[in-house]
Amino acid sequence: MGIASEQWRHAMKPTRWVVFFRTFVLYQLWRFLWINLRMVRMIAKSH
Amino acid sequence: MARVVVLGAGISGHTAALILRKKLARLHEVVVVSPARRWNWIPSNIWVGVGRMKKEQVTFELAPVYARAGITFRQARAVEIHPSGRAGAPEPYVVVESTAPDSQGAREEIAYDYLVNATGPKLNFGATPGLGPEGNSLSVCTFDHAEQTAHALDEAIARMKEGAKLTFVVGMGHGLCTCEGAAFEYAFNLEFELRRAGVREQARIVFLTNEAEVGDFGVDGLQIRRGGYDVPSSVFAESMFVERGIEWITGAHVHSVDPNEVTYETLDGQKRTLAFDFAMLLPPFTGVGLKAFDQDGQEITSELFAPNSFMKVDANYTAKPYEEWTPEDWPRTYQSPLFPNVFAVGIAFAPPHALSRPRKTENGVPVAPAPPRTGMPSGIMGRAVALSIADMIKRGAKQPTHEASMAKMGAACVASAGVGFWSGSAVSMTMYPVVPDYARYPGAGRSTRHTTGEVGAAGHWIKHILHHLFLYKAKAYPGWWLIPE
Repeated sequence: MGIASEQWRHAMKPTRWVVFFRTFVLYQLWRFLWINLRMVRMIAKSH
Repeated sequence: MARVVVLGAGISGHTAALILRKKLARLHEVVVVSPARRWNWIPSNIWVGVGRMKKEQVTFELAPVYARAGITFRQARAVEIHPSGRAGAPEPYVVVESTAPDSQGAREEIAYDYLVNATGPKLNFGATPGLGPEGNSLSVCTFDHAEQTAHALDEAIARMKEGAKLTFVVGMGHGLCTCEGAAFEYAFNLEFELRRAGVREQARIVFLTNEAEVGDFGVDGLQIRRGGYDVPSSVFAESMFVERGIEWITGAHVHSVDPNEVTYETLDGQKRTLAFDFAMLLPPFTGVGLKAFDQDGQEITSELFAPNSFMKVDANYTAKPYEEWTPEDWPRTYQSPLFPNVFAVGIAFAPPHALSRPRKTENGVPVAPAPPRTGMPSGIMGRAVALSIADMIKRGAKQPTHEASMAKMGAACVASAGVGFWSGSAVSMTMYPVVPDYARYPGAGRSTRHTTGEVGAAGHWIKHILHHLFLYKAKAYPGWWLIPE
């Protein structure tokens, strides 16, 4: 068995919906705001 | 009047210099010594390396920026530190060697009141025979390397369009490398570009890393809360590799890179070879090799520097096993214990130990990712040291007044997985603290509230915005100081 197939068998795979939402603009706009907020909080904690 | 000399103009040194200049009156002098005449936003070298950006887009000339900011600039490399001056003249000084075309090799002594060593790493390609652009593999560590890699990728894609099937190896060129995140980004961007070019089916991509498991990133991995579980980052990283059909080999020390073949050893002690058509392998880092001398001209390099040539600061360098490592081992002020007017920041300071558990192969070959000290932590260290020095000069503070321990600092990191406003994506990660604290956060070592990660186009948008934001800041344009590190 090649490396890829053995590794494939043991790894977690995203569902179709997870993959879809990664580039679904409305959802990503929301994530954009949320991630920025998270990062600002991290910056504030670290300075 | 005081003179502060900053050696190096990377993220840490450049940040320190700009903040010092902002905080100190003009009667004080800030001098930056850098062998490179261009500043480089290194995180975007990944995009240069796949041909999505030109090197001009990730760099700019330092001299005009420093002239505008009121900072003295020497295009030179630091070669010696004389922290006690010379006999009869105790004023400390550094010896620098010009790298400017019109005065190449000329030496100069620069006296200082305070010294910030931000010299960054020496890219130690020599640690592995055949590693590096002068050998048999490629790199994205510098903008020139990245550009060369992009040309090689263009040629590979052209061959594949004619029907060739090629093997791409991306990863770490030595068991003691750091910056696994950069190789991770390059692997995903490479895969994305091959798909875009319509040749993905003809490519085998292998990620070859010294991490014991993918997603370790030299920080001992992360625990991310998802679906009611604290999930190791290796689970997410493996998922990303599988989704894109990228194979991975972990716990690897590369012995040699021959033309079209890499020889490596894994933790089980097995030595193997892997044939490749294209290899982008990052080198291990050491310090740049500064020498230090006392008043009598006797070399004291081993007192100021660790064996790997990084400068010792206020860390606990007592050798101890992984189980006894503590967050308190990590430096807070970055001040030299021997010379209170000397500091080291960014990659230039000697870390007390790694963050990832160090391992050896069955044959005793060390495979231990070195701790990353780049990006956000690097900039924060530069800021803290600059503020401390400014207080020492302006208010006569006897001790550093600002701290920036990586054990009390978080990091925000965006790892690109492909360029494109609609189709691109990146992994947006935050971690707190950078150095795991198992007493405060039992189990994970980090706050599961503040340690997060997710993949999506939003990450790419953020990465793109950060690219422009940090270039703006580094160019010291109006309001630059409002942008945090």
